[in-house]
Amino acid sequence: MPTIFPKSSPTELLGLLVLLNGHKGSEDVARLADDLDLEIDEIFPSLEYAELLQFVKVVDGRASFTELGQKLVAGSIRERKAILRDQIKRTTLFKTILRALENAPNHELSDDDLAQIVSLTTAAADEAVQNIVNWGRYAELFRYDAEAHRLILSKPAATTRSGSGRSPPSSGATPPGPSGGSRKASSPPSEYRGTGVVPAFA
Amino acid sequence: MALIRIEHVDKSFASRHGTIAIMQDITFDVKDADFVAIVGPSGCGKSTLLRLIQGLDRPTAGSISFRGQPVAGVCTQMAMVFQSFALYPWLTVSQNVAFGLEALDWPKEKIGSQVERYVSVTGLDGFQEAYPRELSGGMRQRVGLARALAVEPAVLLMDEPFSALDALTAESLREEILQLWRDPALPPEAVILVTHNIEEAIQLADRVIVLSRRPGHVLEAIDVDLPRPRDRKSTPFYDLTDRIYSLITQGGMAGPPVPAAETKSP
Repeated sequence: MPTIFPKSSPTELLGLLVLLNGHKGSEDVARLADDLDLEIDEIFPSLEYAELLQFVKVVDGRASFTELGQKLVAGSIRERKAILRDQIKRTTLFKTILRALENAPNHELSDDDLAQIVSLTTAAADEAVQNIVNWGRYAELFRYDAEAHRLILSKPAATTRSGSGRSPPSSGATPPGPSGGSRKASSPPSEYRGTGVVPAFA
Repeated sequence: MALIRIEHVDKSFASRHGTIAIMQDITFDVKDADFVAIVGPSGCGKSTLLRLIQGLDRPTAGSISFRGQPVAGVCTQMAMVFQSFALYPWLTVSQNVAFGLEALDWPKEKIGSQVERYVSVTGLDGFQEAYPRELSGGMRQRVGLARALAVEPAVLLMDEPFSALDALTAESLREEILQLWRDPALPPEAVILVTHNIEEAIQLADRVIVLSRRPGHVLEAIDVDLPRPRDRKSTPFYDLTDRIYSLITQGGMAGPPVPAAETKSP
């Protein structure tokens, strides 16, 4: 899966899927937004993420569930979480973070390291780190120690529940070292265009 | 037997300018497995009514009973979820969820397993060590919910629980509340939701109690007999919205009415 910065929270993404389910699984995007009295661009980040995670397909301005999306909304809160975890793990961004955690001393990274992995602009780095930490926690892929500002690989016990949580990502991705300098010092990569898409690592 | 019976309840407060009547002659029942929404204009006493039901405050006249017994003092069979989440910022997610149980003097091991169960049920696994400031609004309200459910209340009281959340987050949590309420293995049996959002009331509840402006009295109790999930753009849904909106406006609004899925950013 391509790398994209998750601009919506897990609960927002689920909200979009619940909303679509209320429209029998297929609806014009404009009508979905209208249903909650939102502007259409307010649901775009969640929609884009839902599409990336393969829960929804958008064709000619109409969003429809994929089979996986259908399965997700039919599930309990816990089942939904498990499906989200499986999809999140397959994104290049989380594969890269998990690989870096696998290779890091004590399986820990600082949030500066994370910011470097994400390679976002200085302005967006804090938000990006917070959001990615939020998703990683939700999917139980890693823990975060807010006092030490450390990202810590989840214990094997936590990941075995979901299956192959600790398997290394597919080849091709070069994990950035955890040596990382301050994110304040990192300069925006040239391919970043501020569209919410971060450069692919694969 | 009704789960909760509210009979001829009045509530007034003394002020320098005399007595102010907040609500008058409120009567309705909450049955087992009921989902009741209370709507009405600002100041009609919706939130006060929730406090009276839980026994946090006493009615001036009339009576409130739970399973046939008068509510005297705080009823531990009920738990509240607040609009503002009401989390302790210096406690972690797990510690916040444990808080209500510690007040009930549960043994430590039992508290631990109970916290684990309700953290998991509400989708908070992975956030146990997080502090409220690290959480999104949706996750914070999940903590509020987990804390309320952990005491395994028969009745969940919700005071505008979604109005501080963005629209998509609220949509997700509304649906999760329905899931929890419908699961016979999990509390609560019944839910009482206070909201100013008419569509939200119709989307969730079996019955909508419509209160007038202050002093609040019951204008009508309306059964919502639509299959779930409910389509807000369907004709029967719209007709119900319109009917409740008319009732409230005819009953006289203290402030501007809020008919639609109104939400604001956290």
